[in-house]
Amino acid sequence: MGLTKSQSESLSQRVLDLVEADGANVRITDSEDLQLRYANNDITSNGLVDRIKINLSVSYGKRSASIALNQTDDETLKAAVKKVQTMAKLAPEDPEHMPPLEPTEYLEPRTFSEATAALTPEQGLAQIRPVIEAARAAGVDSAGYLERSLSSATLANSNGLFVYEPSTSVNYSLTARAAEGRGSGWASTQVTDLADLDLEPVGARAIEKALASKNAEERAPGRTTVVLEPAAVRDLISLLFWKLGRRGFDEGRSFLNGLVKEGEDPIGKELFGNKATLFSDPQNGSAPCGIHDYGLPRKKTSWIENGILKNLEVGRFWAQEKGISPQPAAGNIIMRGEGRSMDELIGEVEDGVLITRLWYLRMVQPQTLLYTGLTRDGTFAIKDGKIANPVKNFRFNESPVNVLKNIVASGKQTRVMGSEGSMPMFVPPLLVSDFNLSSVSDAS
Amino acid sequence: MHRRDWIKGTSAAGLALISNRWSATAAEAAGLSDRFPGLAEIALNKAQSLGASFADFHVMQTDKESLYVREEMVQGVDAGSSLGCSVRVLVDGAWGFAASEEISGAKVASLVEAAVATAKGQAGWRSQRIEIENLPAHVGKWELPIEVDPFMVSLEEKVERLLGINRSALGAGANYCYSYVSIVRERKWLANTFGSRTEQSRVRIHPSFSITVVDQKKGEFASRASMLPPRGAGFEHLRDWDAVAEAALAVEQAKEKMVAPSVTAGKMDLVIAPSNLWLTVHETVGHPTELDRSLGYEANYAGTSFCTPDKLDSLQYGSDIVNIFADRTADNGLATIGWDDDGVATAGKEFPIIKDGIFRNFQMAVGQAELIGREGGSNGCSYADAFDSFPIQRMPNISLQPGKDDSVTAEDLIAGVEDGIYIDGNGSWSIDQQRYNFQFTGQVFHRIKNGKLDGMYRDVAYQGNSVDFWNACDGLGGKDTYELGGAFNCGKGQPGQVAPVSHGAVPGRFRQINILNTAEESGKKVASLDPTKVNRSCHCSGGGNTSWA
Repeated sequence: MGLTKSQSESLSQRVLDLVEADGANVRITDSEDLQLRYANNDITSNGLVDRIKINLSVSYGKRSASIALNQTDDETLKAAVKKVQTMAKLAPEDPEHMPPLEPTEYLEPRTFSEATAALTPEQGLAQIRPVIEAARAAGVDSAGYLERSLSSATLANSNGLFVYEPSTSVNYSLTARAAEGRGSGWASTQVTDLADLDLEPVGARAIEKALASKNAEERAPGRTTVVLEPAAVRDLISLLFWKLGRRGFDEGRSFLNGLVKEGEDPIGKELFGNKATLFSDPQNGSAPCGIHDYGLPRKKTSWIENGILKNLEVGRFWAQEKGISPQPAAGNIIMRGEGRSMDELIGEVEDGVLITRLWYLRMVQPQTLLYTGLTRDGTFAIKDGKIANPVKNFRFNESPVNVLKNIVASGKQTRVMGSEGSMPMFVPPLLVSDFNLSSVSDAS
Repeated sequence: MHRRDWIKGTSAAGLALISNRWSATAAEAAGLSDRFPGLAEIALNKAQSLGASFADFHVMQTDKESLYVREEMVQGVDAGSSLGCSVRVLVDGAWGFAASEEISGAKVASLVEAAVATAKGQAGWRSQRIEIENLPAHVGKWELPIEVDPFMVSLEEKVERLLGINRSALGAGANYCYSYVSIVRERKWLANTFGSRTEQSRVRIHPSFSITVVDQKKGEFASRASMLPPRGAGFEHLRDWDAVAEAALAVEQAKEKMVAPSVTAGKMDLVIAPSNLWLTVHETVGHPTELDRSLGYEANYAGTSFCTPDKLDSLQYGSDIVNIFADRTADNGLATIGWDDDGVATAGKEFPIIKDGIFRNFQMAVGQAELIGREGGSNGCSYADAFDSFPIQRMPNISLQPGKDDSVTAEDLIAGVEDGIYIDGNGSWSIDQQRYNFQFTGQVFHRIKNGKLDGMYRDVAYQGNSVDFWNACDGLGGKDTYELGGAFNCGKGQPGQVAPVSHGAVPGRFRQINILNTAEESGKKVASLDPTKVNRSCHCSGGGNTSWA
């Protein structure tokens, strides 16, 4: 990583010193990513990539423009500032433009680990090698991806605001496939601190699922009791949170509008059953996140408590319009779990399906927040409280609203990756009734 | 502030400045190879001295501008530029790669060392060596022809066009409307150890809008997005678009859609406009026939493919009227380029993926043809989306060819349907991890009754299996119905990359396709409406590139 706090401060000040406009925000992200990808049990594409990105937005009253660049020499900086100031002067006034924030207090970030930062390509390869060799020994093909992200994010503005956040993460996932019998299994892990990284059990889980999912039988689609592993849960939750905004509701074009009567406010209403509790906490020890949202400080925030909606994201302009406080978007999600083991959750199911993960989730109907997607890489029938046999995958059509309403029980939280986004999440597996598995897929 | 006051405040000097390229320095105006002399030689010589059997050096600059307007508020005036270099090496049968925005002799040398170290770190435990074919050397420059450089068009004109769209929509009764335009110039310089030295430049543009109508009493809303696709083109693509007329029509259609009868789920015949069918081509033919996906390289992300090498020349992928061809040379194609990112020339490399319904070819990058015993090597399908991306196999332009009868129109196809749906515009899309089971929606669903359009449906999705779907095709429009669709942002790979790609299509008729009612899928009880009381404003697109004339 190139930029320390003082270097970030110095670079952002160099940019701000060139600005003549009334207001300016400078965002600098600087990263060094180690990317190790493999397929068919051999490393394929890979890279060690360092990059810097500067976003400068300037305003003259309510006229504004922004520019992005990735070079830091004086000539390029001057040219960029000149261009964006010209653009801003020519832009029409935006009545919703908000001036730069005043300096404020932020929580201490908890998103950096020296050990993660120091990981070299050779050490990364050494982490992956035993997992690949285990796959070879088990007679399965494996494909996987390890990414060590080492970055800093800086926000500085013309009012003297300055906030610097270093962060590290390691994301790892792998898919193991058994050619004979078309079995496929997947597992993942996501950590901030390298000390918490242990790839071998992750690999073992994927291999076990691949071997267990061979010769899958077809099961009839329909509304079904399911046990969703945490990777599936986090995808559905993240799709819900993309749409938990105050403005969309006030304008009449949110799924929330269909859940309340005309004139009612959704906050304070039990809209998500009575077993769902979700909150954000930037300093959560298991899944820490960034401490601000474009300068708005993040704090511990309750979103849904026992199914009752407690908060909605509110941007600065809309908060001003409505005379309420702005509410930054969630930077992480922690969902409360009852702490039951997977065996206990499965043990409660007379007839249902265990789902490892979901894939290709897309909005079908924004009015009901209906999403479609597929199950993948480890889908099993449950009978009389036990895993019975592997089943073919399904396409589902379901709303995360219904999923939360239909929670029967929940397990122990864990931090894993998903298919949709990389927001840190610490979520439990869920036992859910009436999940709409709408058609069978032949995909393994 | 009134719009006229803003225009009065605009000076000619200001407009000239805003029209300038990203930087006014002389160095910037020169080509990438001239701006960074000697670096290719440093990279390639060092790589070979450290044991590379192949190496390439890329410099890439991407300039962007975008404009976002919501109702009558200009909310996003953005520009940006990204410049950097990368080194890729093949050492002892293993790849290594490193990239940086710093472009200097010392940095390039260190990138080579890092890339070689990653390659050598795999020594002794790879199960198979990576081998690539010898490639001919190409030396030259290429530029996508366009009429009007969008970076030279004033901000004022861009703003006025988007405000015009929004005003048309609001005037027609939309509650909300946003419009935007995004333009990209991509410049690449490639040098490799086969002796290639190529420099290329291309531009693409994507204008779009979306309108929403709201019924606050019922807690309902409906949206309709524009149907103009992005293109490898200049500003003429936006100027030639009658967006004002389409915006007004979009509002009319959204209002009708909001009160249209909810479709009854079950099997129906479909006629699908090119504005929707291009994406079905992309998902059900484009992605399954990527060879790297078929061989397992994408298994940990988007999955694999039902289309395996043993199915070449034998799989009945579609009915015998279905022909789908690939190229990187089509006019205005988003994947059109002179040489791919392995340095393979694309001219003359056009190939059929499906011919007369039979699966004939995969899309391939360097080192892949040999893996399935195909002669001829790469067919030019390598692409890296940024200076810091490893080149991987990506889609060329992939297009559904017109039917044999040039006179067939969408109306002719509709005339052959007793009870069905005519689907126009893209909506939601999803397909499984081996490309079998798909589900798509659209923007507008016209009911077909006894060979004619008769009102609309709402809550429609069509779902099927890729091969069954294409084998259900029994009618295709003629050449005058051909339209070039596409996307800026096809996603693939880990880390993720996005690639622009075009897909030509004609209207197609498909028999007995599974239709879902999306409201029922969400668990809602669906109220039935009297279909005789809905408005009838049916517009049949599918005639060339001027759907809204």
